[in-house]
Amino acid sequence: MRSPAILSLLLSAGVCLGDQPPRHIDIGEGRLPATLIEDVVVPLPGEVFTALDKLGSPNWHDVLRPTAPQMERRPQIALELGAVIAEGFIAVEAKDAEQVKKIGRDVLTLANALNVRKAVIERTKSITDAADQKDWAKVRDELDKASHDVSQAMSEMQSQTLSQLVSLGGWLRGTEALTTVVGRNYSRDGAELLHQPGLLDYFQKRLGAMDRHTRGDELVAMIQKRLPEIRPLIEKPGEIPAAAVDQIHSITAELVKAVNSREM
Amino acid sequence: MNAATRFAAVCLCIAFLANPALATVDDAFSFALQAAEPYVKEGFTIREDYWGGDLAVKTQKAVIHQLFKGNEYWFWMGTDVEKATISVHVYDSDGNLAENDHWQKPHFAAAHVKPKTTGSYYLIVEVEKSDQVRTHWALAYGFR
Repeated sequence: MRSPAILSLLLSAGVCLGDQPPRHIDIGEGRLPATLIEDVVVPLPGEVFTALDKLGSPNWHDVLRPTAPQMERRPQIALELGAVIAEGFIAVEAKDAEQVKKIGRDVLTLANALNVRKAVIERTKSITDAADQKDWAKVRDELDKASHDVSQAMSEMQSQTLSQLVSLGGWLRGTEALTTVVGRNYSRDGAELLHQPGLLDYFQKRLGAMDRHTRGDELVAMIQKRLPEIRPLIEKPGEIPAAAVDQIHSITAELVKAVNSREM
Repeated sequence: MNAATRFAAVCLCIAFLANPALATVDDAFSFALQAAEPYVKEGFTIREDYWGGDLAVKTQKAVIHQLFKGNEYWFWMGTDVEKATISVHVYDSDGNLAENDHWQKPHFAAAHVKPKTTGSYYLIVEVEKSDQVRTHWALAYGFR
């Protein structure tokens, strides 16, 4: 409820409250009163970690993992790049400046292998500078910008597939980290953060639409096969049991291990 | 690169640079960021990624977006068309209005939500009034 004082302040500032929107809209298939935009903005790992931090004080140092880029094939490098950026957000949560700086260098190495080094070179420098100053908000911001710049550079090179794999790699590592924290100290609210059906649908759709060559990649095929196993486990918000959290952790941990592995 | 490919690449570059639609979505995004500016001081982190396009008057677009319970979100919509009235509203996955607040003013609209549950939400953007046939818009968001 708006107080009259706030209302008068808003009006004096030229703010219009406009017509009141409908209280309810029909969102059933084909009944949405608007054209749906297919573009999905994938939340940053830092976004879900911010929500998780409000439920307690996770020991992020225990979640943080050393990074070692493998640089095998382009789809794997793209997935690795996403996972390394996600690791950057974990390093920020852990307030580990040295690891953040190492991650900045790894981002540059992986970006170089994907021919998008130029797009992130300034960002990685800013990440290092901000880590030196322990300006964690700035590091978060620069990681987001690095991710955005990589995606934009890839789109300009007509490499949307690689851009989507970067997002997917980040989501996998972010979800693995989330399930690690929630699995160690289960709460319904913590588990509810895994209720991400729209994102899962988006990734599955994008994987299905990738060219045959990319889908034929052993690692991409493995992810495409395992991802649908998560969907039924996160169906109902507020009703994701500890066993489901453990199961999602097993799946994402296995996939992230494959992303970071030379054998795949 | 052969001559035909080079010619196609040059044409593509010219088309890209000359496309006013791209420039105006960028302009609309600048307005969205302008609307977001005061909220940065309140601790909101603004995302680099955004949605954008153009709309005819009285038409809407929907975006499905993941929100996390415990976080607080602002969605800022901008347009470069001064005489346009635009709006953004947030609905949950059952189609119920989920926003806690919203406002509109020339060039801008915004909606504020503290999600009651984690999940997919529908962001509905609309050009309510405009003196242009198509009005460019952009939608940015921030969280804390």
